[in-house]
Amino acid sequence: MFEKFTAGARDIVTSALDETRQRGDRRIGTEHLLLGLLHDPGSPAAQALGVDLAAARAGLHTLDREALASIGIDIEGITLPAIPGSPKRTPFTSGARSVFERAVKEATRTKSRRIAPEHFLLALLDCDAQDPAAELMRNLRIDPAAVRDRVGGPAQRHR
Amino acid sequence: MEANELAERLRSNDPAVGLRAVSALHRLAEQVETASVRQARQQGWSWEQIGDALGVSRQSVHAKHGKREK
Repeated sequence: MFEKFTAGARDIVTSALDETRQRGDRRIGTEHLLLGLLHDPGSPAAQALGVDLAAARAGLHTLDREALASIGIDIEGITLPAIPGSPKRTPFTSGARSVFERAVKEATRTKSRRIAPEHFLLALLDCDAQDPAAELMRNLRIDPAAVRDRVGGPAQRHR
Repeated sequence: MEANELAERLRSNDPAVGLRAVSALHRLAEQVETASVRQARQQGWSWEQIGDALGVSRQSVHAKHGKREK
């Protein structure tokens, strides 16, 4: 499937893998794809989201910190070492795999021969509410409908 | 997210918060392990002693952390 990706779309996947490893997560999820999309701040997809990479990383960290606080663990102000890279391969979550499927559908719908970052963006905006990317977008106060308007996607979910 | 929003989600037993906490705990445990094993080695602990403290075998702790020495 990756051979149908544009260079920009491939970069998103590579950056998503970097983000996953840096955080010490075991699978590449939709939240990592969202961060990956922000690695190129000048791209139309990143511009449409209207947040920068640092803010999005901080948002994810806040979600983690609050979740830990809910079970009585306070990591505020504690510096921990980076998690060393694991030699194991890093698979995609099922949520991330469905983002790819939706991006392909989006490309087909718009009669694009290749999958571009904008198709990823529209696919990410359509994530279920439980999905980490949707949770992160809520935390960052990103309105999917407004982003969809800016990038010129369909007004409604089209699944 | 506002503090009262979080409190609200906890009251409503939002499983997303608990599940995220579990995943964050996994990462936190890895980080604490990495830092503590490194310190223990610097202070002269043997792999056997570290394995005993972690409740795993000497081999598994060495396989995981040994190559990071040097």
